[in-house]
Amino acid sequence: MDGIKGLLKMKTLTRDKWQEFVNELIAGDEREVVGVKAKGNRFHFGPLEDASELRLDYDVTILPPKKELLPQHEELLSFDISRSFEVRAVKDDNRKILIGVHPYDLRAINMMDQIYLGEHIDEHYRTRRENTLIIASDILNVPERAFCASMGTHLVDEGFDLLVTDLGDRVVITEGTDEGRGLLKDHADAEEATAEDVEAVRRLREGLPSKYSREVLVDQKEWPSLLEDNYDHPVWGEQARKCLTCGTCTLVCPTCVCYDVDDEVELDMKSGSRKRTWDGCLLKEFTLVAGGEIFRESPLERYRHRYYRKGVYLPKRFGFVACVGCGRCAAQCLPDIADPSEIINSIHSFSMERRKELPVPKVEIKGIKEDLLVPKSATIVAKKRMTDIEVLYQIELDSGEELDHKPGQFVEVSIFGVGEAPISISSSPGGRRFELLVRNVGDVTSKMEELCVGDKIGIRGPFGNGFDMEELSGSNMLFIGGGCGLAPLRSLILTTLENRSDFRDVTILYGCKDPEAILFDDDLSDWKERKDVEFLQTVDTCPEGQCWEGNTGVITTLIPKVDLDPRDVIAVIVGPPVMYRFVINDLKKRGVPDENIIVSLERRMKCGVGKCGHCQINGVYVCLEGPVFRYSDVKDLPEAF
Amino acid sequence: MKPKVAFFDFASCEGCQLQVANLEEKILDLIEVVDVVSFREVMKEHSDDYDIAIVEGSIQRPMDEERLKGIRKNAKVLIALGACACTGGLNKLRNKWTVENVKEEVYGDSDIEGNPLFDVHEAKALDEVVKVDLYIPGCPINRDEFTRFVSQLAMGRTPRLPSYPVCVECKKNENQCVFELGQFCLGPVTRAGCNAICPTHGEGCDGCRGYLDDPRMDAQKDVMRKYGVTLDEMMKRMTMYNYRKEGY
Amino acid sequence: MASIDIHVEHLTRVEGHGDITFNARDGRVENVQWSITEAPRFFEAFVRGRSYDYLQPITSRICGICSIGHSMASLKATEAALGVETGEQTVLLRRLALHAENMQSHILHLGYLVAPDLFGVGSVFPLVHTNKEEVVKIVALHRLANYMSDLTCGRTTHPIRLKVGGFSMIPTKKELLELKGRLEGSIQTIMDVANVVRSAAGALPDFSRETEYIGLVSDDHYALYDGEIGSTDTGIHPVKDYLDITNEYVVPQSTAKYAKHNRDSYMVGALARFNLNYEKLSPLGKEVASLFGLKPISYNPFMNNIAQLVEYADSVQDSLFIIDELLDRGLKEDNAEVVVKAGRGIGAVEVPRGILFHDYTIDKTGNCVKANCIIPTNQNHANIQHDMEALGPTLLDRSEKEIELALEMLVRAYDPCISCSTHYLNVRFK
Repeated sequence: MDGIKGLLKMKTLTRDKWQEFVNELIAGDEREVVGVKAKGNRFHFGPLEDASELRLDYDVTILPPKKELLPQHEELLSFDISRSFEVRAVKDDNRKILIGVHPYDLRAINMMDQIYLGEHIDEHYRTRRENTLIIASDILNVPERAFCASMGTHLVDEGFDLLVTDLGDRVVITEGTDEGRGLLKDHADAEEATAEDVEAVRRLREGLPSKYSREVLVDQKEWPSLLEDNYDHPVWGEQARKCLTCGTCTLVCPTCVCYDVDDEVELDMKSGSRKRTWDGCLLKEFTLVAGGEIFRESPLERYRHRYYRKGVYLPKRFGFVACVGCGRCAAQCLPDIADPSEIINSIHSFSMERRKELPVPKVEIKGIKEDLLVPKSATIVAKKRMTDIEVLYQIELDSGEELDHKPGQFVEVSIFGVGEAPISISSSPGGRRFELLVRNVGDVTSKMEELCVGDKIGIRGPFGNGFDMEELSGSNMLFIGGGCGLAPLRSLILTTLENRSDFRDVTILYGCKDPEAILFDDDLSDWKERKDVEFLQTVDTCPEGQCWEGNTGVITTLIPKVDLDPRDVIAVIVGPPVMYRFVINDLKKRGVPDENIIVSLERRMKCGVGKCGHCQINGVYVCLEGPVFRYSDVKDLPEAF
Repeated sequence: MKPKVAFFDFASCEGCQLQVANLEEKILDLIEVVDVVSFREVMKEHSDDYDIAIVEGSIQRPMDEERLKGIRKNAKVLIALGACACTGGLNKLRNKWTVENVKEEVYGDSDIEGNPLFDVHEAKALDEVVKVDLYIPGCPINRDEFTRFVSQLAMGRTPRLPSYPVCVECKKNENQCVFELGQFCLGPVTRAGCNAICPTHGEGCDGCRGYLDDPRMDAQKDVMRKYGVTLDEMMKRMTMYNYRKEGY
Repeated sequence: MASIDIHVEHLTRVEGHGDITFNARDGRVENVQWSITEAPRFFEAFVRGRSYDYLQPITSRICGICSIGHSMASLKATEAALGVETGEQTVLLRRLALHAENMQSHILHLGYLVAPDLFGVGSVFPLVHTNKEEVVKIVALHRLANYMSDLTCGRTTHPIRLKVGGFSMIPTKKELLELKGRLEGSIQTIMDVANVVRSAAGALPDFSRETEYIGLVSDDHYALYDGEIGSTDTGIHPVKDYLDITNEYVVPQSTAKYAKHNRDSYMVGALARFNLNYEKLSPLGKEVASLFGLKPISYNPFMNNIAQLVEYADSVQDSLFIIDELLDRGLKEDNAEVVVKAGRGIGAVEVPRGILFHDYTIDKTGNCVKANCIIPTNQNHANIQHDMEALGPTLLDRSEKEIELALEMLVRAYDPCISCSTHYLNVRFK
């Protein structure tokens, strides 16, 4: 790639004038100037105090410039817990100029833009991005482990405000945007680039690929299918054995953008903040949920996942391979197992060719304008205890608006200072009130159990895809709920019953551990009584001291009792992970096709908007493409069941 | 009702309690959140009526075990403060030799027989004697971790320690890996929470916060071997704060 | 007169565990005893066979408060054994670090451990409400010392940056300038705190007992990092003769040993240094001393508290001189080369509580085969005992509570660091 669009203007500054330009930017108090400086015998981006610190001859920085747009630690919200509900978003409107961003890092920033400024816009990122000007620079020196040339990321012709090529005695600047042009005009004494200048730049860029000692032998377009052919390749086990699961590879990677969120409160017990910090899929508790389950536990699965996210899932979702060949992971991984070029080359040389499709469904997301990370104020208007660990709440948003949810969606409930928890909505849509069944399994849910009518909580959402009522309309419905899975299922059942004439047969099966664990007694009696509903119930066991006269046995014992036409029924199953395997098995034995089975899967939902990365099942975001799935769509996903 | 907190110490350098005294302005906030009813190092008053006991130091003698058991009985929550309390810390280094051998080395033939003050056994961490509810590791502890624990307990949360290694914090600080500087570091298998303070100041991690629940020891040993650490040196460093007779 | 029986178990507001016993019958003191019940930790075992580059991190853990001081003594002993000559910049930075430790320890002692006695309360916590402004000032001085420790050593307790031959990292010019500004800004606060202490200093008993004082002395400055051993009785002695000065011995009621030199006991610490080196104090130090009328030689152990305040002020001013010198010289990498060889070395350093000795013998592979540490508080225990024996009879006309308080205040005045002091004889490793 030659790299210069014909219309981009080029100007030249002598070395001295370049220093003056940079020093003038530094002296001006409009923007903070951040550039590449030495750090020990390496380099990093840091605040410049003088142009002499700037090292455009660097090969690569320890951390990529992503830290300037998505900092390691970032305050999202600040709140006061001594008040009933006081929270505000914290925006960083510090204006910055980054100097020295290499083309591969610029490409990575553009990838970050697509993730963070896509359908759901991350307002914190957007503020920082809009306040940052980027002065990119052409690569002069290449680090040993980089393979940018074979990734096509060693040159760039857009995305920068200015692009600097350091020719030694002089510096050639390519203008990229109006802001860049303005910066140069206002602060620099530049001449038009001569033909020799342009030629010198062209020669420098042309000579760049030969400086790379490493290359990847597979074209990026082929990475997804190569990886899908090799999900069980021995290389994963071999390398993972040496893996420290230390997270270094994800931390130093310019395209890794997952984060974790936590609340903290000062010792004055008043002021607090919600902060986000970098997180990584290599770390053990990345997929941990409050109940204690870890969904991607072994080092092998975590080690492999990173490559698949970069080489399969993100390409399928956004159209780019999320690797820019910078070589940071390769150079900084202590056991040296993180090099994508080595892994891809090695798989390529011995491909197992056993295709495992890893689909990333395309889902229509309606763009939302408001700040999705700021909870709305809501009040508890009713509270009813169901079991010794479960309570049903009726909530209203204080603004008066309806939640306007679909059955199967969830909200993120905030208790400031404690945290946030994803809770499925248990009521049908319509009206100001919505219901949440809260099960005490962790800090947030345990705190919530103490709250009373009149207390306020924060609500974000609704999130997730929910059940598609239109698609289900006209069908014979078989609802199978296990344990607290009845909570989200109830929202669908109630919606169905409110529109009973839109459906043909309706059968409801419900099973739980024991009589004391039974939820929603009132609804159950309703359903039992209704003539237009067949309702069957069971408990796994009836321990001594508890009363039960109905069926005893696991929920699969109810399935034979149901009279259904397997080809003409939609089965909706929601329950604990272990239940799915057995119920689905029984349904399939009855002849129910995979497309007619719908499940709701749980993972660690944190942001709710497909950014933090924790809820992924292979390449699928449970918070965006789920939690409701057609079994045929997910049955082949290795991480689903 | 403010929770009542009492501090105790056994065989230690008292550096961890000093971190609490070193909270500077935050100590003024601390005493608003909790009621400190006993803190021998800074207070004359003492009360046996406390909810939370924070204990520093290792257990060396039967008389220490009795005192600790008494504390455990009084407290609803027992917190082990610092490496000596959590893992035995440096105190356990002498467990390599027998008690008789060590006593003879240090006290020679002075008459200490039968004197309960000198009646030592193997150095023990707190949880080798009583049940411990929470651990705040480190040599010394990290003050921010301590205030986080207090604030979380006051909020009704269960404080949890990071389950990821020191490398995560080290990389976030953009440190150059000390292995590249010719040093050896136990960061990849050591529990984070100290903000990677030693590598940030140019020294390799010695594991004072204890290892992760399932540390990648074999992978760590491979790395150390790759960088030229002898087996003997490896074992010495790995057992310094986390002494184990059988090594790693 | 009735009998008086006082037993204070685990004295409060001192570092470590010690007991005070006082029995009097019919107007006569029968028994007064200071006993150490601290669990021995056997630190020799920790350094046994350890490589020379690990002696500092291990011995630092002898004490949480004087960890920088132990580190210094350890490094000096190691460097003396290996024949490593540290550069001038390293010495200046180490002196700065010792000042930070002195400041941190002294202000903690005065503000948190002693002040409650002067104001008649059990701890500093009630003072937060009754004397908030003064407490805030003390906290500010404490924070300055911590900041200085962080800057020079990476951390106040168990320093990180110190290593054999120099530092793993040194402050930048910008950081030193920032520190300089903060030190200069603290001078008014020091004088304010000094005046507050003066207003309450009447609570310190006017007691005197002729005593020998021992500490580091130097020709040209108030010695903390380098010097020879000085005695108010016998003059100057080379550091290599430290065993002849300290003469440790075991006593049954104590897991810590006693020491003696020219008399039955001697005292080390701030007052000892003050008595030996008054002339070398900076102007600010002398100004604070004159505020209290403190002049050498003071034989009142309670004045150790005041001497600590004097030293805080002196440390601040001397630190400013050191910073100026560092900036004049320009900061650069100054670590000495370390060649591993066999040898023996002794490091003597003043820590807040007195003179500290580390003595190592290292074999040709660089491992430590013999070690000895003489802790300042060890050297004070005998003197505490004898002071108690002299003070006791003068208290007999007071109430039991007052006697108890006076004895406690006496021990506290020494600022003992008991957990350091519980161990060690001359040990040879087989």
